[in-house]
Order: sequence, then C-alpha cells, then structure tokens
Amino acid sequence: MYKSIAKLTLLISFVASSYANASPIGPLERERAKTLNLILDKTISIVERKKKLEKSKMKLLDLERMTINNKQINKNPDNHTIRAFEDFDLTFLVHNSFEKNKPLSIMWFEKMGLTTDAIMNAQVSRR
Amino acid sequence: MKKDTIKLLLIFTPALFGSFPALANVSGSDWKPQIVEKMFVLPPQHLNKVLNNDFKTSVLASNLRVTDNKIKSKIDKINELNSFLPNASKDEILEINHQIILNKRDYIKDMNNLIIMKRQKLETKKAFFEKIKNNIKYTNKNTTNHSVFLNNKSKALERAQRLDLKIIEKTSLNINEKSKYFKQYETNKNAIEKLKIAIKNHPMNEKSVLSNNSDNKLEAISNYIYNIETEIAVLEMKEQMMSYMAKIVALDAMKLAENVSGINQNLDGSFIPGENYNDPENVIDIFTKL
Repeated sequence: MYKSIAKLTLLISFVASSYANASPIGPLERERAKTLNLILDKTISIVERKKKLEKSKMKLLDLERMTINNKQINKNPDNHTIRAFEDFDLTFLVHNSFEKNKPLSIMWFEKMGLTTDAIMNAQVSRR
Repeated sequence: MKKDTIKLLLIFTPALFGSFPALANVSGSDWKPQIVEKMFVLPPQHLNKVLNNDFKTSVLASNLRVTDNKIKSKIDKINELNSFLPNASKDEILEINHQIILNKRDYIKDMNNLIIMKRQKLETKKAFFEKIKNNIKYTNKNTTNHSVFLNNKSKALERAQRLDLKIIEKTSLNINEKSKYFKQYETNKNAIEKLKIAIKNHPMNEKSVLSNNSDNKLEAISNYIYNIETEIAVLEMKEQMMSYMAKIVALDAMKLAENVSGINQNLDGSFIPGENYNDPENVIDIFTKL
C-alpha cells in the first residue's frame, strides 16, 4: 500500500516538475547562456572564439525569431516569459546587437554595466 | 418496503424530467444552429448570413414555410366565401357564415403556431448572439489581464520586423552558417508581406477591419440583439392582436348559433325570441292563411 502511494507521489512530482521546466523560452535561455559562456571562456583563442561565436549567434538569432513569433505563449505566459519580454535588449541579444550595430559581447557587457569608463572609474577597496 | 419505494423513485424521477423537453417542444419543430466555434471569429455581418443559411436548412424553417402557405390558403378561402354572400339564399348564408367562422378559427390557430415558431427562431438567434457577446467579453477580460505582456510582445515583434532587412544584409556573407529555419523564415516572410499587401488593397478589407475590432464587433452584436428584441416585442403585439381576433370569431360563432336557434340577444343582455317554428304560436299565420 505504502509502496504504491510512494510510486504515485514520485510519478506526480515527476510530471509536475516536467511541466514546470517546459518554459517556451527555455531553449532560447539555454542557447544564450552557452553564448555568454563562450564570451567569458578564457581557455580558447580569439580566432576560435570568433568562429564559435558566429555559429552560436546564428543559432541564437533563429531561437530569438522563433520566440518573438511564437503566438502560443500569448495565451498563458509564465513568469520567465513575462520577464524575458520586459527587457528586449537583454533577452534578444542578437537583435539588439544588429539594431545598435555593435558586437553581441559588447552589448551584453554594456547592459551589465561593464563599460570601459565604469571599469576605469572603479576603485580597489577592501570590505 | 423502503427499498421498493426507492426503486419506484429511481424509475419515475428520470421519467418525470424526461417529459419536460417533450412538453417544451409543443410546436414539433426545432432549430439548433450547427455553427462551429471557429465561425465565431467571423465579422458579425458574415456571421448573421451564416446563421440565416443555417436556419434555412432547419426543420423549423420548413415548418414555417408550410404554415405560411396554409395561412395564405385560408385567407383566399375566406375571401372566396365572402364573395358568395351577396347572391346567396338565407340557408346558404348560414352555411357560408359557418364555413367562414371555421376558416377564421383555423387561420387563428395557424397564425398562432406561426407566431410561436417565429418567436422560437428569434429566441434561438438571440441566444446565439448572446453567447458570442459573452465570448468576446470573456476574451477581452483575459486580454486586459495580459495586456502588459502582450504590449511588450507586440513591441518586440515590431522591433524584430524592422530589423529583418538589416539582418539579411549583414548576414549575406555567412551563407554556410545559415540554418534551414533562417532560409525558410526569409522566404515565408516575403510571402506573408505580399499577402498582407493584397489584403490591404482588397475592397472588402475596409468593412471587415471595422467589424474585426473587438469593440466594434461587440457593438455590432449588441445591435443585432437589440433588433431581435424589437422583433420579439412586435410579435408580442401580434399575439395580442390574435387574441382579439379569436374573441371576434367566438362572438361571430355565438351570433351564428343564435341565428340558427332563432334567439336574438339585446344590447342589455335580454333575449328576444326569433323565428322559432317549434312553437305553435309562431306558425298560426301559416295555418290561418287562405
């Protein structure tokens, strides 16, 4: 009896968690995270990074277009999706970089407040 | 004993409820619009046309046509009988008047059925439009809840569409990097633009633009409901008219019955004996005449 209840609970939690993870912007978020990882990766050369970034950028562009044109998410958007559309510049990095005519990495650094001026003005201090 | 009572209750209760629809459908005709939910998005004028076409194929419509023809034939018959009256003899007049009263009675019966059917048609139409009105209201309510998100999304879509041409120009060198989706997106986007221009230039577009707006659509449907309500009010007046007609026919029948029996009634309600040959007093002249 207890075994079957435990199995049922496990099954329900599995189904519930799979629904919770199925955000329509999930693939875009994952690809964006990969691209940002690539930007911050110190282990690869500049040429290699540029090459990989170009490929990743095109993939990210496809995913951005798919998300923007997805009419299904209009019906019942989850919090992730609502927040994603509140900040176009940060969510749709490739579109933003085309719009501002700046490289994708620069766009992201700027959005995070990591500009040259900001870094130069920063003071070294101990907390 | 208790079990038997429960069993009996179980048998009779559904039978009791089952008899209600049968009672409600006295006229023996029905119309349930066979319109799929997807049609609800149509502009109101088109929806009304679809609804009217649906009605034409219903049992109620065919019954309405049959009753309408019956009424026409009854009126023709009454007119024909009335035309015989001036040249008819006394006995013939009695018979013709009898026939006229019978035809008038049938006319009232058929007309009453016709009004019931017309009312049924209007009530069904009204219920249909009320349903659509509620649907639009519900959708509008939901849209208001997500309005901030939808606003952000439509802004995002606009920004992305403005960049489409720029993206094509800037990525023209990365031919190998372009995915299947990228190529398909470009082709489909061009086709969609062409279709959009064709829709914009279509002569019927202006009309549907007015009615596709949810506020305009709601107003148009409210107008339809208002018109149906006025038609129902007119039918109610006709029902009143029919009750007066029935009263006149009943009075005519009473008069005819009096004529046949030879008793006349004064305005104050007192009876005046007419030509009653069953009373020997009234036939003295016949016997005394030389």
